[in-house]
Amino acid sequence: MSSAIPRIARRQLWMQLRTIEWRVLIFAALLAVTLTSFLSIVSDRLESGLLRESASVLGADLVVRSSRPIHEQRTELAKELGLTTTQVIQFPTMVGAGDNLILSSAKVITAPYPLRGEVITDPPMSATVPEPGTAWAEERIIDQLGLSIGDTLQFGYADLVLTATLKQSPDRGSGFNTLNPHLLVNKQDLEKSAVLGPGSRAEFRLLISGENSALKSFETQLKPTLESHERILSLINDQPVTGNALANGLSYVRLSSLTTLLLASLTILLALRRFGHAQQSRSALFLSMGLTPKALVTLYFWQLGIAATVIALLGGTAGALLASLADLWLSGLLPQALPNAQWSSYIIGPALGYAMLLLLGMPPALEQAKVPVAQLLRSDQSSTTQKASWGLYAVSLVLLSAVLLLFLAAPAAAAVLLVMLGISGLLFGWLAQLILHSLGHFLANRLALGRLLIMRLRQQRKWHRLQAGVMVLLLMLLSVIWVARQDLVKEWQAQFPEDVPNYFLINIQEWQKPGVDQFLADREIDTELYPMIRGRLVDLNDAPIRPQLNEEQLKDNSLRRELNLTWREQPPVQNQIIQGEWWDPESNDHQISIERDMLEDLGLELGDRLGFDVGGQPVSGVITSVREVKWESFQPNFYVIFSPAALQSYPGTWITSFKLAEERKAQANELLREFPSLTLIDIDQLMKQLAGWLERLAESSAFVLIMTLATGLILVTITLLQALEQRKTEVALLQTLGARATETKHLDLLEFGLLGLVCGSLAVFSAEITLAAMNEFLLKIPLSAHWELWFTLPALASFAFIAIASLLRAPLKIEQCYAILKNNG
Amino acid sequence: MTSGSVLLEAKQLGKQFKTGSGTLDLFVNLNLTIHAGETIAIIGKSGAGKSTLLSLLAGLDTATSGTVEFEGKPLESLTDAERAKLRADKIAFIFQSFHLLPELTAQDNVALPLEIRQQAGAESKASEWLRNVGLGDRTDHYPSQLSGGEQQRVAIARAFAGNPALLFADEPTGNLDEATGQQIVEQLFSLNEQQGTTLILITHDLELAKRCQRRIQLSNGAIEELS
Ligand SMILES: Nc1ncnc2c1ncn2[C@@H]1O[C@H](COP(=O)(O)OP(=O)(O)OP(=O)(O)O)[C@@H](O)[C@H]1O
Ligand SMILES: [Mg+2]
Repeated sequence: MSSAIPRIARRQLWMQLRTIEWRVLIFAALLAVTLTSFLSIVSDRLESGLLRESASVLGADLVVRSSRPIHEQRTELAKELGLTTTQVIQFPTMVGAGDNLILSSAKVITAPYPLRGEVITDPPMSATVPEPGTAWAEERIIDQLGLSIGDTLQFGYADLVLTATLKQSPDRGSGFNTLNPHLLVNKQDLEKSAVLGPGSRAEFRLLISGENSALKSFETQLKPTLESHERILSLINDQPVTGNALANGLSYVRLSSLTTLLLASLTILLALRRFGHAQQSRSALFLSMGLTPKALVTLYFWQLGIAATVIALLGGTAGALLASLADLWLSGLLPQALPNAQWSSYIIGPALGYAMLLLLGMPPALEQAKVPVAQLLRSDQSSTTQKASWGLYAVSLVLLSAVLLLFLAAPAAAAVLLVMLGISGLLFGWLAQLILHSLGHFLANRLALGRLLIMRLRQQRKWHRLQAGVMVLLLMLLSVIWVARQDLVKEWQAQFPEDVPNYFLINIQEWQKPGVDQFLADREIDTELYPMIRGRLVDLNDAPIRPQLNEEQLKDNSLRRELNLTWREQPPVQNQIIQGEWWDPESNDHQISIERDMLEDLGLELGDRLGFDVGGQPVSGVITSVREVKWESFQPNFYVIFSPAALQSYPGTWITSFKLAEERKAQANELLREFPSLTLIDIDQLMKQLAGWLERLAESSAFVLIMTLATGLILVTITLLQALEQRKTEVALLQTLGARATETKHLDLLEFGLLGLVCGSLAVFSAEITLAAMNEFLLKIPLSAHWELWFTLPALASFAFIAIASLLRAPLKIEQCYAILKNNG
Repeated sequence: MTSGSVLLEAKQLGKQFKTGSGTLDLFVNLNLTIHAGETIAIIGKSGAGKSTLLSLLAGLDTATSGTVEFEGKPLESLTDAERAKLRADKIAFIFQSFHLLPELTAQDNVALPLEIRQQAGAESKASEWLRNVGLGDRTDHYPSQLSGGEQQRVAIARAFAGNPALLFADEPTGNLDEATGQQIVEQLFSLNEQQGTTLILITHDLELAKRCQRRIQLSNGAIEELS
């Protein structure tokens, strides 16, 4: 249509930016876009840096991952098919320099490495693998140990020269390996360091690359022979790691932003509806001048599009700026700098802004085409109230929900949350209005303003429902999240009594045991070494176990991987025998003491005989006792303990844990200096790191909460604004009929005070129920009332309503009253 | 003054409103023929249906029965887009409450209908029309900076700028004091004479009605042509 349309749209938007509805709309949309941009950029960076196992971060086309050294056959099969291979061994280890130690993830490699993607170092190196006798370390190792390039670091028995900072490398490994800083070491140094003895805990990987067809046939030939300690990772079954705590945290934060988005959408919807009504006489004028209805709708979409562009630019920039602070915010937690976000994560927030404005703006924009021009002939300015087009609104809301669910990437959970929020909002609104109504009737004859109050409550009932629904939901969510967070932190701290061990010592070889025992005894470190032998559960009562179990039981972890087995003469002190009896240490019978959950999950009973495959040898025993294990005790804990006679003769390593008070921590360094090949894990460091992540999680959910609160208040503002004209007329009428200005003011106070009280009480009620349910079923901690909520919430709600309402309007003077009545006649 | 060809013709026009209790017959079987170049005043008590009649004649509302023909074409048979085109090219309105766009200067307000039809030279034409209504020095002023009478003059300039064949004015002086109203009326009639526009005007002011060639009184659902 006419080229004048974009210009008219721009001019009229510019003028309308001064109206409250546009300000409210822009504010709400900006919050939504900023939050979404921030979250999508940060989570993309975290995911691609630490979580995603995609092609370039796999370091190969296909990886065989195993908890045991890679079988010759695997390498040979790959060679036969003409594939390129290389091997990686990765394990946690303490790296030292001077008196400092840091828990890191050592990656032992040989050329060629990597097969896909690239290793980036500073200074840049021509080789992709460190020379023998040298190592490359990620920033956090270098920082923590106070190293500079050229310094020496201690890696087991080997001293390695640090030649470069590792800036970026693919193939991060799994589990703890991803979050610990990496140390790249040449395979030739491994033997000298002696850090990896037989049976030591490590992840062994075979990296493979080559032709697609060869890869496929490798995979198909490998699959049937795949053992329980092996896994294939390939581009085809590549998926982000699920069940990872960081991934869960990220999706939790994203999900919690749904409330903000929902409130922002509702605000935008109301603002645009109000805008649409206010536009009717303008639209009638355009139509009277011969603008076609189609062109008129185009005009309004232009206006929405221009506004959306401004919002997308501003919000997207703000989100990106906030996200760029993420490195600062996560400093000390990240093993290396995060990679840049993909460009697509930058457009998600702005795209959402467009979707919100255009979808929610569609009904009011389309309605303009139906405005009757004849209304201009009326002398009064009031626009005719048309029937709202509910069908249009339904369509736009459904589309918007689809967009939101898409953004949240966890459609099922988000959909449930969306529906729950919607239903509880409606329910709360309806309840609150009902209670308010009965309160009004109760007060009718007891207060001077009683009858006026009833009139007011009836007139405003629709708005009260909406306002109450939003307010109750908001206050409830805020208090539940607030209180639950405190409870969680308390619970978390209570889990770890003061004297729990803060060091794990693993990979102690048989020949080192006497020395380690002596070392610990000399320093009066109270602990005990446990043998550790790995075996796979294969038989039950002398027949293969798998056919004897149901589908649910087959999924149990104890069947999917190798178990750590041990043998003992006496029961561990921290375990409690709850069924059966511990064996006589002298007995020659092969007996088993099993952990309670495993017994129950697999449906086992006392007297059952379990058979294990230990490095190719069968070992079996009869279950004669059941133990309750405290997993959070930080002691070596085992699902299955054998009587000495059964397992004593099998080779294994030893493991222990102990407590070193802060002032004795130097002894950990002594231990490593004496036995450099041991793997010592500093639990304090680990816990500090974990606590750091938890803290960040709490901070980001607080950030989302603040955004939610802000959008909630904006929403209440727009609902109050909606009813403002109606209120003004009513107040003007009352005042011209002789009510004093103070009386009408008191009526407002009374109305909002009551509304706040009702909302606050409902919020307290529902928050207590939710918290009780959480404590009972999730946290399993005793129920308690949260008295502080009982008066803060009602007070807060009343205050919020009264404050916003009085900000929105100054008291009317009597001359203004007349003017209002005359115009609205 | 010579009357030209038939411009607008209402035949057997009737309008009914559904009300809560039943139907309200505002008028039935109303016939009216208007020739090009005529000036016509519609008078009648408040609530007689003057504005309703005007919106039917302008094709802004649909009649319950009967037809309105513009230049021989029945308005009901036109599509929305055709009616919009007709308004853009041939018809203009002046309202009691001036309906200027507050974000536009006087000149841009006058230029607006020309821009809508993508007419070249909208700006110079607009300032020329503002000069014609005596507001040549106020082109850059916004409506909020103009008095009521001045705003209505801008609205008149806007109406004439499009060179309409037919101009509807519903109580154009209703919101103005008597003296200002008088000036506006002078302006309206002199421009109308220059342009040869057909003018249909609703008014309560009998003096104003007398200046029109024809006067039609609407009462009790029927029209009566006053001499
Ligand atoms: N949409 C409608 N629905 C029902 N009744 C209507 C509608 N529009 C107008 N009316 C009624 O039709 C009658 C005529 O209205 P109209 O506005 O045409 O009168 P008028 O002659 O222009 O009056 P005034 O001089 O006060 O402007 C009034 O009684 C009015 O209430
Ligand atoms: Mg009228």
